[in-house]
Amino acid sequence: MRFNITTATLLLLFAIPAIAQQKLFQLLPPGQTNIHFSNDISESESLNVLSYEYFYNGGGVAVGDINNDGLPDLFFTGNMKANKLYLNLGNMQFKDITKDACSELPGRAGGWKTGVTMADVNGDGLMDIYVCYSGKVGEELRRNQLFINKGNLKFTEEAKAYGLDDKSYSTQAAFFDYDNDGDLDMFLLNHSTKKIDNMEFAKFRNDIDELAGDKLYENNGNHFTDVSVRAGIRQNPMTFGLGIAIADVNKDGWQDIYVSNDYNEPDYLYINNHDGTFTDQSQQRLRHLSQFSMGVDIADFNNDGLPDIMSLDMLPEDNRRQKLLQLQENYESFALMQSQDLYKQYMRNMLQLNNGDGTFSEIGRLAGVSATDWSWCPLFADFDNDGFKDLFISNGYLRDYTNKDFLRYWGDYKVKKAVDREPALLMDLVKAMPSTTLPNYIFKNNHDLTFSNKQIDWGLSTPGISSGAVYADLDNDGDLDLVINNINEVASVYKNQSREQDAGNYVAVKLSGRAGNTNAIGAKVYLYTNGNMQYQEVNPNRGYLSCISTVLNFGLGTQKNIDSLKIIWPDGSTQLTANLTVNQKIIIQQKDVPQPVKTAPENAVKPLFTKSSALLDYKSEVSNQNDFKRQLLMLFMYSKTGPVIARADVNKDGLEDMFISGDNTQAAKIYIQQRDGHFVAQEGFSGGNENECTVAAAVFFDANGDGFPDLYIAKGGYSLWEANTHSLQDELYLNDGKGNFSLSEEALPDVSASSKSCVRPCDIDGDGDLDLFVGGRIIPGKYPLAPKSYLLINDGKGKFTVADMPFSNIGMVTDAQWIDINKDGRKDLVLCGELMPIKIFINTTSGFADKTGEYFSEPTNGFWFTLNIADVDGDGNEDLIAGNLGLNSPFKISEKEPAEMYYADFDGNGSIDPFFNCYVQGKSYPFVSRDELNEQIYPMRRKFSSYKNYADAGMKEIFTPDELAKASVLTASEERTVCFLNRGGKFVKSLLPLQAQFSVVTKILAKDFTHDGKIDLLLLGNHADNRLKIGSIDANYGCLLEGDGKGNFEYIPQPVSGFSVKGDVKSAEAITVGKEQYIVIGIAGSELIFYKQN
Amino acid sequence: MMKNIFLGLALLYGPVNGQIKKTLPAYLDLQPVVFSMSMVMMHDVVNPPAASRFYSYAVLSAYEIVSQNNSTLHSLSTLLKDYTPVKITKNNKTYNYRIAAVYAVLETGKRMLPSGFMLQEQEDAYLKTLSKNNIAASTITASVAVANLVAGSMVAYAKADGYSKLSARLRYTPVKGDAYWYPTPPAYIEAVEPNWKTIRPMLIDSCNQFICAPPVTFSKDSSSNFFKLAKEVYDISNRSTPAQIQVASFWDCNPFIVNTSGHMAIGFKKISPGGHWMNITGIAAKKAGLSFDNAVLLHAMVSLALVDAFIVCWDEKYRSNRIRPESYINKYIDLHWQPLLQTPPFPEYTSGHSVISTAAAEVLSYFLGDHFSYTDNSEELFEIPARTFPSFREAAAEAAISRLYGGIHFRDAIENGQRQGKALGKWMVEKMRVHLKPIGG
Repeated sequence: MRFNITTATLLLLFAIPAIAQQKLFQLLPPGQTNIHFSNDISESESLNVLSYEYFYNGGGVAVGDINNDGLPDLFFTGNMKANKLYLNLGNMQFKDITKDACSELPGRAGGWKTGVTMADVNGDGLMDIYVCYSGKVGEELRRNQLFINKGNLKFTEEAKAYGLDDKSYSTQAAFFDYDNDGDLDMFLLNHSTKKIDNMEFAKFRNDIDELAGDKLYENNGNHFTDVSVRAGIRQNPMTFGLGIAIADVNKDGWQDIYVSNDYNEPDYLYINNHDGTFTDQSQQRLRHLSQFSMGVDIADFNNDGLPDIMSLDMLPEDNRRQKLLQLQENYESFALMQSQDLYKQYMRNMLQLNNGDGTFSEIGRLAGVSATDWSWCPLFADFDNDGFKDLFISNGYLRDYTNKDFLRYWGDYKVKKAVDREPALLMDLVKAMPSTTLPNYIFKNNHDLTFSNKQIDWGLSTPGISSGAVYADLDNDGDLDLVINNINEVASVYKNQSREQDAGNYVAVKLSGRAGNTNAIGAKVYLYTNGNMQYQEVNPNRGYLSCISTVLNFGLGTQKNIDSLKIIWPDGSTQLTANLTVNQKIIIQQKDVPQPVKTAPENAVKPLFTKSSALLDYKSEVSNQNDFKRQLLMLFMYSKTGPVIARADVNKDGLEDMFISGDNTQAAKIYIQQRDGHFVAQEGFSGGNENECTVAAAVFFDANGDGFPDLYIAKGGYSLWEANTHSLQDELYLNDGKGNFSLSEEALPDVSASSKSCVRPCDIDGDGDLDLFVGGRIIPGKYPLAPKSYLLINDGKGKFTVADMPFSNIGMVTDAQWIDINKDGRKDLVLCGELMPIKIFINTTSGFADKTGEYFSEPTNGFWFTLNIADVDGDGNEDLIAGNLGLNSPFKISEKEPAEMYYADFDGNGSIDPFFNCYVQGKSYPFVSRDELNEQIYPMRRKFSSYKNYADAGMKEIFTPDELAKASVLTASEERTVCFLNRGGKFVKSLLPLQAQFSVVTKILAKDFTHDGKIDLLLLGNHADNRLKIGSIDANYGCLLEGDGKGNFEYIPQPVSGFSVKGDVKSAEAITVGKEQYIVIGIAGSELIFYKQN
Repeated sequence: MMKNIFLGLALLYGPVNGQIKKTLPAYLDLQPVVFSMSMVMMHDVVNPPAASRFYSYAVLSAYEIVSQNNSTLHSLSTLLKDYTPVKITKNNKTYNYRIAAVYAVLETGKRMLPSGFMLQEQEDAYLKTLSKNNIAASTITASVAVANLVAGSMVAYAKADGYSKLSARLRYTPVKGDAYWYPTPPAYIEAVEPNWKTIRPMLIDSCNQFICAPPVTFSKDSSSNFFKLAKEVYDISNRSTPAQIQVASFWDCNPFIVNTSGHMAIGFKKISPGGHWMNITGIAAKKAGLSFDNAVLLHAMVSLALVDAFIVCWDEKYRSNRIRPESYINKYIDLHWQPLLQTPPFPEYTSGHSVISTAAAEVLSYFLGDHFSYTDNSEELFEIPARTFPSFREAAAEAAISRLYGGIHFRDAIENGQRQGKALGKWMVEKMRVHLKPIGG
């Protein structure tokens, strides 16, 4: 007994410290490190965020070895406080040597210091320091400073002599060799201080602002010259540069530049043209950008050797702060931005995955890193030494500037003061902005393109207001420590205890370059271990206001052997080192390389598909309908359905022809395939005039049994049409046997009650003619009420009648397929739709019976956009492949945390009020903002008197139990695109690779594309016209999945598949042209795209 | 949240010298009560047409009570469509109809305004004031009961005017083409009340009873009349006199002026055009030394004019969907030009202030005379000095032309707006004349 108690006590005693020790990071007290630097901001009536908008942007940190003793030293900038230089004494102890090093090092009194960079600017082997200045102060106070390292821990300020005493409003400088001439040039990131009054940037786009525009300086023998204009650097007054990262993004051996811009000016991705100039290719390579971009990092986080890009924004993670702070959606200003070439920008972090073919897939939401509040500094680094780079993000803003209560109700203060005859004070206003401190974020790389939040597990849960940050192995123990510059708090020094916890092996690599570029900036290092590869580039310019170490740390996990290390030096020469010992720092000298060898070009793989020139002349035009003007609370728009493609050999000449729907500017046409492989539009056909209707689906089938394909055109769309009017009446065109089509006026019954999605012919009653299932997608103006779907029975002569079926009002049907599931010789109907399960109706002699439950062991409610069938596992049964929302949307949906759509006419005003709810951090909240709620249901203006009062509201707070009782609910519990394998009469869910979940999947082609006799899948999709809060979902460029014939699939990288499909895919067909196999893809607002199968 | 309005306003809107002939007890002053509604509407950022509706139903409640106690005032049912007055029963004999009328304004506002709960404080303060003035508790209770009864009936009447159906209607989608309105800087706020024409009017038969002449045809051609209109706005703004700037600011009346600074945006607030004219009505009633009953009459009739004026004007705005000077000038004359006033978020033609001010002035002139001089200190709250006018019509004319000085309207929108307002106002006066005599100066 006694023994037990003692043990228990002992356990208790040790349990607490043991748990504390498990944290990866330990915050070291200033007393231990001697780092007492704190970036204190003092606000006053004359000096505050209203007089200088970047008042709370914080300071930076630079890390570098100033005395070449192998210990990284630290430099902090203080906006209003003195800068500090700390010498690393080892064992995580530092000494403040600022004043001894140089009397000017603390910075100019009255100046406003911003970013800092350590670099061997003059290439003499000693680390110099460049400090940037900005602020609403005179230009002499703004001149940037260059502290040249004279050795013996002494510095002198020589910016003017080097030509770098620039007086721009500077954020940060990056030193790198842009012209590959062996010395370091400088890119200076600047920002405007002008008040942004409006968005009509066309006004200013072509102006040059000497003080706000970014600058590129070329180094000529330690004198720097401004070459910005010649180099093609954008310098307009709307530049609000907050982040810069340098990397060879396209891996052509030349350094590229990513500049992130705050506000509406888009980020720039400057690709190096090899001739001293750059071209901004952000729009060619990236599908959308973060809007209020702050810091940026470029690094390969998925170990495929390709640099990926992370840019930060200010979207909060939790429901409450989103409701309080997220800007109101404004479609007109978004449209204005598009019209002024400001591109698609959304307020959230963007993780741009490099596809290796010049495109990037933005997967921040899928990866789980898109919302980290007001964020500043992203840093990819392997903090737990497991071989994959994790992600640190600093955040914090002194005041909740964008608080909506503040915007809307602060004006009351002024009126009140006037009523009370008291003066209104600016500082009252400043103080009225709420201040919220938050912990920084740290994410562990899950090795599968996703990250897990480790704020608590890794010991970063202390709230604060953080700005610039760096990582470096400060104590040379093999793991990366973190140093963070904070506002009004002592800088944080986090000791990484990975090595102490024996978490993983490592190797540190220090490259020593030639004179001029002594730290080998721009060098690339590949580390190979047991079939794995890691890639890093020596580029300390990343993050925010800061500059990281030039020593590269590679985590190795349990690996004890390094197969080889490949270095590509800045001059392009390659060096291979084998048989390296782990757990050490290796210094590699460039001069040791005897003969520079040019890198051999990587083995170019012949892609499976090649984009061919267009085989017909067609471009779809999109009309800018905004469906949300009709129903504010829908999630997606439904108006854009085209181009619709149907294919058949209409004239029986042995060549496949195509129907392609038109738009407001052109009629739908039938294109006849010619012997030379081109398609020519047929004269005389007119159908589906898009000024009177929207074609949503089309199919060729033999309606009248004459052996020639006839054409059924189904009408859909949303914004302009009304149910039960002619615009939603489908049309049947009969083929005269020569490929000419004419409308058969009497063929169809009235099918105009809904906007349609699909037409699927099938002889359902075995009478030898083709009947039709026509899916109802939506009732215009009445989302999400179930629209009517039709079963049309053919009388054998091409005249159809409506048969009432159990699926007539099944839901918002998007697609359907006929399969004989029970092998009784009668085809059964499988259908899917938005916010409904995949349904199976067995075709019995006495009618259709819903047997869904017999074929699925669990409900499959999803957003299902498309359904295809193929026997992917070769067992003789058709399997289902169903396209869904994917995992890259703002909604996290699972069986445990389903999404719900409540709907009713709550306020009895004749309109359906749909409320979408989904889980955020464990609780289900409505997606609707207070503004939207008030717009939809006026009495709600009385219910929630402020944004704060609404911020935590769920459906139960918004509605009374009685009101909720009259609401209907639709749900979704699966958002992934999945394959359902038919296994013994049950459909078993089989997950597809994560790349399949990058975007909405709207078309699926199943075929053997890899010539191995096994069915592969091509997933196409994207969905741009969504609520702005959702944004364009567009990370799918044509996802080709290789099947193994057993029901498993593997993603084929884009350069290998050859697909680079940009935009919203509305149709796709595999078609034979001559003897070649093609895939033709219809994209909203684009030309028809043809890919030839190789 | 709000301090006692009665106290604050006494300081702010203290009697302008010599404007008051004889005084009613302060607790029968309508002006502070109406102003307390303005305060709530400023808080809620109620848009101008919606504001006119709220003011009107509130003062109509007061009119309903007074008219059941003053045989010279005809029942509202003789004026309003589909209106059935609630009968105040004889059991309520002990009530003071004037107190009930004042309280009914607050109560109707409380029940209808989004943040109407804020008026609770005013109601409480009002009851305290009554006690201080030695009004018997039983009288107070009975008066409040009557006020509640009438307010309830008025709110029910308001419910059927189509307001709640607005949210079910199609929102404004910018019309394609250079001639048409597009949201304007700096906040690009979506079009305000594009379906306001569907609201049930007060006196007129329909929204399109006073369709005005179409606007000058759009043209980019620098020799065109339209270009000249724009050039006029531009030229005036470039050499505007301090007097013109004063006039423009005095009649700005923009409920929500968004001031952006970086990521931050602050909304500055003002009383809407309708609220401004309701306050003018209060000032005039006081200056004229009107009896309480007549003051209520005047407020009610002005409010009816305002509601209908907004309906006809908003009907035209979304018929013509015309571009604002700011958009046109930036595109065709000067990229960098900004108007003196912030452009309000709805189409340009006709000028709302011109229509509603002219209509209100007609009604005020009918009741108080063509040469009623007064000093308007409504805008002192916003640090804009008071202005004195020789007549309501001159004030209205100034309100109209102020939109040109402010750079937010073209001249034809102002002049045709005045014509529209005049026609409407005259028509309304004819309608009122049947039942109601001028009050006299």
